[in-house]
Amino acid sequence: MMKKLWGFLVIAVLFFTLIWVWTSKVENSLGYPEFISGGALFFIIFLLCLFNMRKRLPFLPIWSAHKWFLFHSVAGFLALSLFWLHAGVLWPKGLYVQILSLLFYGATLSGIVGLIMEKVYPNLLTRIGSEFIYERIPREIAEIRNKAENLVLECTEKTGSDTLAQHYLETLGWFFQRPRFFLNNIFGGQNSQTWVKEQCSILERFLNEAERRYLEQIFALAETKRKIDYHYSLQTMLKTWLLVHVPLAAAVMTMVVWHLIVIQVFFN
Amino acid sequence: MDDSRFSHDKSPYERPNFPYRCGRGALWRTPCFKGPKIDGSCGGTQDCEPFLSKGRWSCRREKRFGGACKEGPGPNGECSWQRPPCAPRKTLRSIRGQISFLAVAVIIALLATSQALNLDGGRFVSISDAGPLSSSHEKFTETEGCASCHSVYGKGPVGWVKAVFTQEDISVSCVSCHSFGGPDSMPHNNNFLKGQDFRKTECIMCHREHSGGRMSTKKSSAEQCNTCHKNKFESFSNGHPEYPEKYPYFNRNSIKFDHGSHLNKHFENPKFTEKAPASCIGCHQVTLSDREVRPLAFESICVDCHGSQIQKKDLVLLRLPEFMQNFIDGEALTQSCNFPDQEKSEEEFLSVSTEMPALVSTFLLNVPEDDPEIYERPLQELISAMAEESALPVEDLINSKTEIPQADKLLMGMNPEVLKRAACSWGLNLEYEPPAEAKFGGWYADMLEVRYKPTGHRDPVAKSWVEFALAASTHQEDEDNAARAIAMRDQVISEKEGVGGCVKCHAVSETKTPEGKKKLEIEWHYKDVNNRPHSKYSHSNHIEIMGKKRSCSNCHILDGKAEYMLSFKSFDSTKWSSNFKSIKRKACVQCHAESQIKHDCQTCHVYHLNPGFKKKMFSEKKQNEKFKNDV
Repeated sequence: MMKKLWGFLVIAVLFFTLIWVWTSKVENSLGYPEFISGGALFFIIFLLCLFNMRKRLPFLPIWSAHKWFLFHSVAGFLALSLFWLHAGVLWPKGLYVQILSLLFYGATLSGIVGLIMEKVYPNLLTRIGSEFIYERIPREIAEIRNKAENLVLECTEKTGSDTLAQHYLETLGWFFQRPRFFLNNIFGGQNSQTWVKEQCSILERFLNEAERRYLEQIFALAETKRKIDYHYSLQTMLKTWLLVHVPLAAAVMTMVVWHLIVIQVFFN
Repeated sequence: MDDSRFSHDKSPYERPNFPYRCGRGALWRTPCFKGPKIDGSCGGTQDCEPFLSKGRWSCRREKRFGGACKEGPGPNGECSWQRPPCAPRKTLRSIRGQISFLAVAVIIALLATSQALNLDGGRFVSISDAGPLSSSHEKFTETEGCASCHSVYGKGPVGWVKAVFTQEDISVSCVSCHSFGGPDSMPHNNNFLKGQDFRKTECIMCHREHSGGRMSTKKSSAEQCNTCHKNKFESFSNGHPEYPEKYPYFNRNSIKFDHGSHLNKHFENPKFTEKAPASCIGCHQVTLSDREVRPLAFESICVDCHGSQIQKKDLVLLRLPEFMQNFIDGEALTQSCNFPDQEKSEEEFLSVSTEMPALVSTFLLNVPEDDPEIYERPLQELISAMAEESALPVEDLINSKTEIPQADKLLMGMNPEVLKRAACSWGLNLEYEPPAEAKFGGWYADMLEVRYKPTGHRDPVAKSWVEFALAASTHQEDEDNAARAIAMRDQVISEKEGVGGCVKCHAVSETKTPEGKKKLEIEWHYKDVNNRPHSKYSHSNHIEIMGKKRSCSNCHILDGKAEYMLSFKSFDSTKWSSNFKSIKRKACVQCHAESQIKHDCQTCHVYHLNPGFKKKMFSEKKQNEKFKNDV
């Protein structure tokens, strides 16, 4: 993987150097270097957009998704460098170019945030030791909840005590209802673990031996649910950052096309 | 956790690219196995679609959903596992697609609205606005907006499409206001490349708009200059050619001021020490100096020593010469002069004068100065005419020598009475005796001459006579008259005898008329050197840094061997020796070098040739409108 990454990085650096030298040469000869840097930037943005197209055409034997992702990441930074080379300033003047810049920076920033999440979250998910498919998490939660509720009913029936059931209704039921501790999970917090342990340990002293066995099973289910919650939080983030990145990228592309039209009309 | 729970026969097959997901799952309930239909409706109202085979309905529930149910289909073929429909929700992918579509739609709508509202070229906030204009261009585009420079602006989609396929040079808009001393699309606005293969220049090669504030000009670098210039070098301190031999004293001074003799001789003389300036700034005006450090006026710096010399040098207009015979009609003269009747003398005529005629009069009458037999008759006729009409005959003679009558200027201040009285005396072969000595300047007659004494510096009559003499010497076709004109000129512009001694200080140079004819001109005024329009130099900046006392001599070093005054003997202003040694590049490189003061090309060189404006920023109509609005 590192070999591929370095390969792309070297290509990107060489490409940027080529464009930079070319624009300097054109600028020195009183030409219009913006056409060179702009053309290169448009080309790179086009390649970046191809990643989304590639996802829609999985049957095409053009690189693996992983390779595309590496390329997309490196090309994103290359596009940012070319953007600065093209604009000449960090924040240009004029509403129209400011909107274009704002969208570009938004897409780039969301891309960087997404890249960080793509690099950090999968490791965290692997470390937790279980695997859950995002689309099936509702079913998993429902199953765990059903199991927990069945255990509570069975406990009440067999032990004749409703202590566990009362506690479940008052506290644990809330936890099993749906994914919890979303914000805490995405920042790597341990609140859910603490909360589950705390709720079970509070109850433990009021239960007899038979009830404790049921509590242990419910605690095991809660632990699984906690892991599912963790998966849900992190996978949600891994999927929802694209809700920002892709629309911004689409808007950038629209503005880029408009920019090309304006340049063709007013700068022909 | 059972790892086989995802196997094909145990779990439903859900894909992230489905547009909908189960509504129950969205509420964290157990989702149905079948999931939503493609149109977004619930697909899980029943577990299977029973199949009719040989008159019996059989259950078709998939194995992964539990296989065939015990209850089996009802008699009408309905599934036994019926449930109320859910409200399927969109998947993240579907939402992402919608937001993306919305984002694109918003941008397109914004662009379309902006364009629709800006077709008239108004100043509505536009998202096609490329940025604010510089302060210098902001005002005059207020009315027409973008169309002031972009002809396609406001012409609608058709105009835009045409513009894409039409080459448009925006420089045309620039040069509708800006003007230059040469072709606007030639490098440096100069014609030196005419006929050669060169790249047409455009304003936007260097100047960029829409950056607000000041007009953005590309940073000029040596590389940019090197692109076109054959003599390529890295920087001023590294590779710049040595200055030309005479730099910067290419042109002869208009005022003859021998710095060498003044500084080393006259100012050292104890007689003049008190009057001498303490340093260069005693004579040169340092304040606001740019390329030129102009000397102060004659009245400020020269008059103390040279002021009295001007009045000592008269112009002799007429002189009574020696006559061999008297042709003057005595009776007519007596009448003209209102003399009492005189008896006719029988004595032999003996001229009261033994002088030669004045060179001015011999030129005006076109007679030789040394042959009385030829000049006596015309001169005596002139004297008779003057006795009768005073200055009128002289005036006629002067005007006959010039294309445009100039007698008014040349004889300005002439007292007709004086001229007539002198003529009357001379007519009687007598010397004219003035009533008093002429002290204050102006026209006067004295014994045998009519003279003009300059009143001081800038005397208009003296100036006119110098100009007349110079013009006359180059406009005579007749050989004899040309010789007389030159003789008159040499006398009038003589440093010792010439009227006012003007030419002692003012240079006379040969120039050409627009028609290409040679002519002589006296340089009355200090002349700014403007024959190097592509270079600039600010004396004031340098003087400010180096101090007023030592800054001049740092670069301007006297050349003791130079024959400065000799250069002015000739009318050719190109051949001359300056009082100062030429300045070498090393003098500038002392400071303008790497890691010192800036030394890029534009520090000393100007790209454009005589930049200016073609038209007023406000037309008369607009000015009136503005005035009305202000009122």
